Amino acid sequence: MRDLPALNIADIEKSFGAQCALDGVGFQVPQRGVFGLLGPNGAGKTTLLRMLNGITAPDRGSISFFGEPISREHLKSIGYLPEERGLYKSMRVGEQAMYFAQLRGMNKTDARSKLRHWFERLEVDGWWNKEVSEVSKGMAQKIQFILSVLHEPKLLILDEPLSGFDPINAQRVRDVIADLKAQGNTTILLSTHDMGSVEEMCDEVALLNHGKLVLHGAVPELREAARDGRVEVTFRDTVMEFTVALGASAELIRIEEEATVTGERRALLRLRDGTDQAEWLHWISGQVKLTSCALWQPGMREIFIQAVEHQGTDES
Amino acid sequence: MNRLRLIIFREWYTRVRRRAFILGTLLVPILMAILVGFGVWMERAQMEENKVLVADLSGLISYWDEAREAWVPACPDCFPERSHLEYRFAEEALSDDDFLASDYTLMVLFDDGILQHQTAKYFYDKSPALSTESAVENDLSSAIERFKVKEELALNYEAYKRLKTNVRLVGEDVVTKDGNATGRTLIGFIFSFFMFIQIMVYGMHVMRGVIEEKANRIVEVVISVVKPIELMAGKIIGIGLVGVTQVLALTLLGYIVFQVGGISLEASGLLTAASNEGLELDFETWIASNDSLGFLLDVNWPLMIFASLIYFVAGFFMYASLFAAIGSAVDQESDAQYLMIPAMLPLLASYIVAAMALENPEGQVAVIGSYIPLTAPILMLIRLPLGVEWWELTGSIIGVVVTAYVLVRLSARIFRTGILMHGKKVTFRELGRWLRHD
Repeated sequence: MRDLPALNIADIEKSFGAQCALDGVGFQVPQRGVFGLLGPNGAGKTTLLRMLNGITAPDRGSISFFGEPISREHLKSIGYLPEERGLYKSMRVGEQAMYFAQLRGMNKTDARSKLRHWFERLEVDGWWNKEVSEVSKGMAQKIQFILSVLHEPKLLILDEPLSGFDPINAQRVRDVIADLKAQGNTTILLSTHDMGSVEEMCDEVALLNHGKLVLHGAVPELREAARDGRVEVTFRDTVMEFTVALGASAELIRIEEEATVTGERRALLRLRDGTDQAEWLHWISGQVKLTSCALWQPGMREIFIQAVEHQGTDES
Repeated sequence: MNRLRLIIFREWYTRVRRRAFILGTLLVPILMAILVGFGVWMERAQMEENKVLVADLSGLISYWDEAREAWVPACPDCFPERSHLEYRFAEEALSDDDFLASDYTLMVLFDDGILQHQTAKYFYDKSPALSTESAVENDLSSAIERFKVKEELALNYEAYKRLKTNVRLVGEDVVTKDGNATGRTLIGFIFSFFMFIQIMVYGMHVMRGVIEEKANRIVEVVISVVKPIELMAGKIIGIGLVGVTQVLALTLLGYIVFQVGGISLEASGLLTAASNEGLELDFETWIASNDSLGFLLDVNWPLMIFASLIYFVAGFFMYASLFAAIGSAVDQESDAQYLMIPAMLPLLASYIVAAMALENPEGQVAVIGSYIPLTAPILMLIRLPLGVEWWELTGSIIGVVVTAYVLVRLSARIFRTGILMHGKKVTFRELGRWLRHD
């Protein structure tokens, strides 16, 4: 039997005055794994995340949490790292961590032992008795991250978890997310604009724009579906030579003016309808110094831009 | 409930451990002294019309003038003309009923005992201002001094020093037979003033705390765990308890000062010297026998403290919830200024009326103000030491508690919407919309 989805978001609507923040949004977040919630600024992501945290309620529609209508009772099973986050400046790091752990329902002993583990893992041990005002931004980010995972939530909501981190600490956090995913006890809902992280970590994504769901599916499938017959080639000719040789055999979408140190340039082409790819490859190999040729697979960045622009065109 | 307790504890603990709080608590008595001085100065600045009947039972300072057919002062210079103070003289006192029916505001009564005790009694319907009391004391002292000088045949410096007179007036309300209204009005004012300061200072703490949490963006994490109303209530209760802690600390400090001061005075033998009879007295008896301090023992302290506590809790909830709502609606403290004006007005008006009530604690404005929930926590306390009817006190407390409940509910509606709102200048119309929004 298939697992119940961690979240079943059904036909959610939410307006603030005349402004519609979410308009009939519905998708499922499967248990375990990392689910990406994407969208440009103002798409409605934060509103949706706040609904999952019981901060706001939908005007219409429903949200199920592991098969049950979501309620405040489920909040202790949810970890939340909002994009806009802070700490109390007048408290020490350790007492603040204990405060939030207890607010999440943990007892003192359990909280202290788990905090010790996480503080060591993210290398913030030694800061326990420091005032928050003395702590660097990156250190504070790590503490905030710890506070969201400390109580071992079934659903972990991370809104831009890597922003503000240097590459080393960003990698540490990525590793933690990968470990949580591998352990399989936590479903991670990741909201980010960093498409590199999405490709690296997410199994599935949902893309919101203007309060509507514009794209939803598994990352490999979305990338596969976004292929449109474009071909990426590298060659060792000048731009002029390549363009003349190409002639009308294909549409030149993009070409790099600057050659690499090995003298290579890259170009993105779209073959004319009905062109046999093997025959064309054979022909062009005789015309230019071709070093590679592959069917182009779009990244999540291109898919994101394409989907948002496509919706914009449809609406206008 | 457990989460609410955690929030309350955090709000309380992170404040009471601050050095500023500890220093502030120790400095409060000094500030109080300065501000009471200011209140007295304000009171002096306001004059009222006074017509004083001097009942000179032994004919020491007045005589019957046939021509004018009236008792006149033997020393007219001793009773100079003042714009708000007029004297009449008589050889006998008026009965209480006659005094009340007359247009006299004060009746000063003494016989030749004044030459030994330097004390005259005075009677009033409405407690006189301290400035009036002081003027009458000065005038009477000059007249008695003049009388003594006339009696002395050979005047030298030693004799002059012996004759130097400072008459002290001991007052009594002709209706209540109450002799210490002025001192007790001052006690009421101190309580009122302290209530004003506590509500104002800790109300502002609530507002700043909310703004800090909002500006820090920590609030989003907190309200993903607790309901906004829990957060608001936790904040108000926690910060209110900081105020209570300060009051308890000051009470303890006052008690220690009173006890230690008493023991040292008893040990020093000064109390024996201060008593007229030359008997050895303990500190409490000394206070009771001392005309200037005796009122301290006449105040119904348990009622004062009990009422103060209720008024503080309800009054603090009333104003702190308003300040919390204002804090939630703005991004920084400077944006809160114009929203605070309507919330602060009743509080400031209460203080001004309380300062004016020093002059006339039973005046209409103070009485009406003590019934209005927004001003009652401050104005009822100034009236309370003089005695109020039970129905007045009960009605006023019920009014304040009900108003506090309504304001907390309304403020919570603003709070839950405002706390997540960023970068938007909020208008009163917007606040009204949040209030209606379910």
